[in-house]
Amino acid sequence: MARAIIVLISCGLMSAARPAPNVVSINLCTDQLLLNIAAADQILSLSWLASDPDESMLAVAASAYPLNYGTAEEIIRLAPDVVIAGRYTNPYTKSLLVKLGFTVVEVDPARSMADVEKNLLLIGEAIERTQAARSVIAALRIRSSSLRASNARTAPVRAIVIRPGGYTIERDSIAGEMLKLAGIEDQATTLGLDAWGSLSVETLLRADPQLMIVSDYKLDTASLANAWYAHPAVTGLIRQRPTVRLPVSYWTCGVPQSLDSVEILIDAIAADQ
Amino acid sequence: MNHRVLIWALTAGIVVVSIASLCIGRTSAGPAFGLGDPEIAATVLRELRLPRTVLGLLVGASLGLCGAALQGLLRNPLAEPGILGTSSSAAFGAVIVFYFGLASQQSLLLPAGAVFGSLAALGLIYMLAGRRASLITLVLTGIAINAFAAALTSLALNFAPSPYAALEILFWMLGSLADRELTQVAIAAAVMAPGWWLVSRTAVGLDALTLGEETANSLGVNPRRTQVFALGGTALAVGASVAAAGVVGFVGLVVPHVMRGFVGYLPSRLLLPSALGGALLTVLADIVIRLLPAGPELKLGVVTALIGAPFFLRLIAAARRGTLR
Repeated sequence: MARAIIVLISCGLMSAARPAPNVVSINLCTDQLLLNIAAADQILSLSWLASDPDESMLAVAASAYPLNYGTAEEIIRLAPDVVIAGRYTNPYTKSLLVKLGFTVVEVDPARSMADVEKNLLLIGEAIERTQAARSVIAALRIRSSSLRASNARTAPVRAIVIRPGGYTIERDSIAGEMLKLAGIEDQATTLGLDAWGSLSVETLLRADPQLMIVSDYKLDTASLANAWYAHPAVTGLIRQRPTVRLPVSYWTCGVPQSLDSVEILIDAIAADQ
Repeated sequence: MNHRVLIWALTAGIVVVSIASLCIGRTSAGPAFGLGDPEIAATVLRELRLPRTVLGLLVGASLGLCGAALQGLLRNPLAEPGILGTSSSAAFGAVIVFYFGLASQQSLLLPAGAVFGSLAALGLIYMLAGRRASLITLVLTGIAINAFAAALTSLALNFAPSPYAALEILFWMLGSLADRELTQVAIAAAVMAPGWWLVSRTAVGLDALTLGEETANSLGVNPRRTQVFALGGTALAVGASVAAAGVVGFVGLVVPHVMRGFVGYLPSRLLLPSALGGALLTVLADIVIRLLPAGPELKLGVVTALIGAPFFLRLIAAARRGTLR
């Protein structure tokens, strides 16, 4: 009995003395989740996209850390306690790291704010920052409900989201949930495009949106998808209708900062009325 | 060039590039020479660079060998493992495994899916082309299966659970040797070895087939047996390659052509040099990837095509001028 107590006490002491686990993230979305909850000195490295302002909402914060390209050789040299990866991150790298004895946490892409909360908790537990994760989640909920309350009485605004190449958004996605929070009825859904898909210019013209949400990505680079915006019918519509520009990075990953997009949308609707 | 001298030269080349491949790594800052920190040097060498190098040799040898055998079998200089639908079907099998998100839990499922895909393509060829398939039927069936497998892969990409999954699948399809485990290399080798054995048994038959199917028959060579061995061996070797490294293009096409310039036109003399040349080219391409400045790793299939295509075009130009022996 006495021995058991001593063992228990020494375990407690050991865990108190042990520094918090350090961590490497090799996926853009987990990079941003990690930046929300980790202590600064826990993060050894983030993935190379994390500091790209076209991709990441937390590019400035991420640029303080060394970047990696997600290869096993880099991670072995960093020797982290925990590696955080996405569900679809290179499976060879993940299984090799597991075999070499690393703790690899796989995080699913978030399709809703509930998923974001789940992912925050998952990462929080893995890096012993559960408390930080809980408080981020609590703040997230307060912000969501105040945003929801701010537009509770107005009728939904018909809007359509156009991404490069005429791609719309999925209903069951972070983007879909952000639209709902902003009091917007996504016309792609009412037009029957509720999965990830591409909109023809004709469908767009027939949709007759009250608000156009242009979710662009690297507009200054040449691509067939960006050339889609230059179609006379599309530019005409953008000129005629109230249009709000919302960079793709807001919805690329489900992160607490995705809620910023709701504020931009609510402001755009208010400015129009 | 003397056949034996060529074999020795290729072997020496392989030894040199293999040693180079073991000495060159890649970190966030770009290429890294040597092994670095002695504490992790053993891990880096054993778990990263050794599997990468060995897999490069195995994949390259499989592609070179099968390319040479298929060019001999089909008497068509355009033939390569891709043309019978083997590569694309194997890739489709692997993509299906990816699609259901099974790849990360059990990495054994990936090779199983790819080998199953390539064997299914082969089975389909036999069902469609009949038991006494003429070579032209075989090629046409292969092209059809190729298109079908490519279409199914696009379909899977269309239905991919998220755009990110689609992107990961696409990148994987371009071929890479990065971060493979020794067990995966061992599995690949275990599937490739019987494939190589089957292909190597076709040497005499392939020589006879250069005189035409009827003549080969009258020489006592069973063309059907040669076909079964060459195609079955290719399905195994290429299926295992695709499973382990994705689709690495151009090696199977270019290397036999280059080697033919040295050894002449007998298919049997082409098999071993092509296997060695394929291994050499693939590891060389993989070294080039690691020597590039810092950035996300380039895909192996991209580099083999970048190295292979201009070389191939030069070869064609030389052949047209009649300066090529």
